[in-house]
Amino acid sequence: MAKSKEELLAKLAECVVEMEEEEAEETAREYLEAGYPAFDGIMHGLVEGMNKASQLYEDEEYFVTDVLLCSDAMYAGLDVLRPHLPEEGEAKKKGVIGVVEGDTHDIGKNLVKIMMETAGFDMIDLGRDVPLQKFVDTAREQNAELICMSTLMTTTMGGMETVIHLLEEEQLRDKVKVMIGGGPISQKYADKIGADGYSQNAVEAVKLAKRLLSIA
Amino acid sequence: MGEIKDFECTYDNSAGISSEVTGGLGLEFPDAYMHQETMSRLSKALKEHDGASFCELPFCHTVEAEALGGIINYGNDKTGPRAKEYICNSPEELLKLPEIDFSQGRIHEVLLVCKALREQGEHVVLQVSGPFTILNVLIDARYVFKGMRKKPELMKEVFWKLGNEILKFMKEAQDYGADMISYADSSGGVNILGPKMAGQVVEDFTYEFLKKARAELGKETLLLLCPKTTFALLGTGKAVLSDVSLTGPMEYGKACAEVIGKVDLVGQMCIKNVHYTLENGKIKEVKLL
Repeated sequence: MAKSKEELLAKLAECVVEMEEEEAEETAREYLEAGYPAFDGIMHGLVEGMNKASQLYEDEEYFVTDVLLCSDAMYAGLDVLRPHLPEEGEAKKKGVIGVVEGDTHDIGKNLVKIMMETAGFDMIDLGRDVPLQKFVDTAREQNAELICMSTLMTTTMGGMETVIHLLEEEQLRDKVKVMIGGGPISQKYADKIGADGYSQNAVEAVKLAKRLLSIA
Repeated sequence: MGEIKDFECTYDNSAGISSEVTGGLGLEFPDAYMHQETMSRLSKALKEHDGASFCELPFCHTVEAEALGGIINYGNDKTGPRAKEYICNSPEELLKLPEIDFSQGRIHEVLLVCKALREQGEHVVLQVSGPFTILNVLIDARYVFKGMRKKPELMKEVFWKLGNEILKFMKEAQDYGADMISYADSSGGVNILGPKMAGQVVEDFTYEFLKKARAELGKETLLLLCPKTTFALLGTGKAVLSDVSLTGPMEYGKACAEVIGKVDLVGQMCIKNVHYTLENGKIKEVKLL
């Protein structure tokens, strides 16, 4: 018997929470074949599952590795559903994200990116070991309102301050909010270098981004 | 099983390579990271800049991975070498990587610097990386985490393949005179893996690995653990701490040098926290159970 829309949405969410990448892909196909709208599949299925995973992360039941695997399942489903979305309506808030030059530890950055995308941000991921000027150039070219930087190394922290200075030099500082995070980073350090905010983890990063950009 | 606590890395410690350290040395970068003579000067400059009681080597966590075939961005005078691009996409590919040849390349130069610095009367702390840190250069971390969940036995093989190379590196370093070897794998800390997976890594790898390392190295070389590793051992009931008296209150680095030959394993503080002082004149030995 064909499954109802609700059943399939619940299954999509479950695949994400249970980190079942292949099953998420299959369920997304089954959902489309049953004639249900892709948008609902994403928002009430995959994203709902990712939100549950975020909650489990916040409750310390899931950890970084779990959330990364949940996101693999979410993206596998998204790859199936996304081509079937209608033309986009309201533009999403854009953010540029990356690990600062000199550092290659990108687990935390990837997690923040996933959570931000789940929360509806359009994240431009510059990857790891990102030349500092590239944050500024990309923010300008893409009209981004947010720059998110991370580092796990004490030796590369200074790059974050450089990016802030570069934004000032290019008269972009008022247009772009700067968020930072990573192992050795603290609120004190954020205050010291004039960043707009620091967050300790990916869930907090979403809350901070929303606060900085006055999103309800 | 108890709870694995996390040790938070801070930035109130040795900042490593920076233009403050490299300025005035007349070195060419990144060339300076690759040759015995320049690495030796750099290591001494870093010691002086930090006011440390020992020389650190190398200046990055890419030496082992490079020797296994990893692709490295050698950096410049401000930032040291780091990973460039991944060379593997699966645990199976990792298992096919060649063994390390310690007689050539940057890893050989590092060994030569150990020898040279020791001959100049310096204490040398050779920083050796654990599997997660090495893997960070070779493969995207998500393949590692996925492997640990879906193919745990295969990942155990990967850990041991790397572990055996690390053991050989430690032994080589000892032969070249390193009197202190630090072992750290912060990319595999409980803050990233979570308590369950972190515990599994201790069970599957770290505990046995350190026992083997101790047996191989004997008393003449002190093994220093990153506190993240110490806490993982304590939290899984695989080790206990025991106080060892020093000749008086002193900085952690000096205390480590003082207990070489008397103690097997220490790890209460990050060795990069160079001015951390043991006010009570006691150092904690990590005793594997």
